[in-house]
Amino acid sequence: MYLVAHIDQAICSETACRLCTQYCPEANTILYDNAAKTAFVAVDRCKGCEICVGICDDLAKHHAIKMIMITDLQDTFELSKEGFRPESWTGKHP
Amino acid sequence: MSLKNMTITPGWEKYMTKEYIDLVERGPYGKQKKVSEMGSFKEILEEHPMCAGCAMTLFIRLTMVGLPNPEHTILIGTAGCGRLALTQTSIPFIYGNYGDTNAVASGLKRGLEVRFKDQAKDVVVMAGDGGLADIGFSAVMHSWFRKERFTTIMLDNEVYGNTGGQESGMTERGALLKMAPKGKLFDKMDMIGLAKTSGVAYIARLTPTNPTRVASVVRKAVMIAREVGPTFIQAYTSCNIEYAIPTPKVLDDARDIESKRYGFMEIISDEAKAYLDSIDTAKKAKKE
Repeated sequence: MYLVAHIDQAICSETACRLCTQYCPEANTILYDNAAKTAFVAVDRCKGCEICVGICDDLAKHHAIKMIMITDLQDTFELSKEGFRPESWTGKHP
Repeated sequence: MSLKNMTITPGWEKYMTKEYIDLVERGPYGKQKKVSEMGSFKEILEEHPMCAGCAMTLFIRLTMVGLPNPEHTILIGTAGCGRLALTQTSIPFIYGNYGDTNAVASGLKRGLEVRFKDQAKDVVVMAGDGGLADIGFSAVMHSWFRKERFTTIMLDNEVYGNTGGQESGMTERGALLKMAPKGKLFDKMDMIGLAKTSGVAYIARLTPTNPTRVASVVRKAVMIAREVGPTFIQAYTSCNIEYAIPTPKVLDDARDIESKRYGFMEIISDEAKAYLDSIDTAKKAKKE
């Protein structure tokens, strides 16, 4: 099993700093919901490098991102299944 | 390639992949997207096989946001890590042979200028330090001497990362690598100095520690290459495999190298500066 980034949306939605979306080396992996003002992760694209964790902890100082086992996630967002459709995002992300 | 060519013929949408439809409808074509909007538009770069946490991937991703007209751009690369991501962009990519990237780009740019008189087409060479400073060195230098109007971007990871860690001309003196067990005996090549001597119109050296700056430098370089002359960007994009940098520390390393020896540097010719100013003035006049 492997680790993926997971964003605590309660913390994230309070700040709107968007730094993790800019520093992630993978394209369209940390997505940003403008309506709910939160970032969330497309787990099928996350390679588990933990750069976003360092950015959130040290640069932004928000401590909203943790690495967790993919099997511990109840519900996941996968870009290959859903496609990039911001209009269908309901504001509730896994 | 143009925005018109990308658009799907009515009735054929159901045969196209999800990714392609997303790109046409929610992609950056025809709109200048900003770094701060990343994550809320479909990016030109798709999934790719580069290593987890690679700084080069981050730099390439930011470069794609910085391109002023991605629908009118052609990328040229060669063997090396960068082409693994560059081939996964929805921008035409030419896989030059080792050594001839800048010669291919010269011919291509001249051909495009003849073929498309009313539409500016951008040519961007993106290859590694080995591809440009070692193997492609003569073609790079001569394209600069001839003042060919395209952008050369060096993805400087200071090693031959793809082939097991041989030293390159851009490796630092004393660096220990798998295939350089005694440490490199010579200094890092001064490509910035060479570019200056050859009269390159815009030269920049940077690390991917500031995403907005990367995008703005790329945008400036491509715009200047359109009208004024050759442009060159040298970007530190560490190889976390060959230099054994743990992936969570990749950006710490970039910041460290930036403060110790790499820095951020821009050299811009008077003509290029005047051209950029004229663009700004035109933009302001349009707004008013």
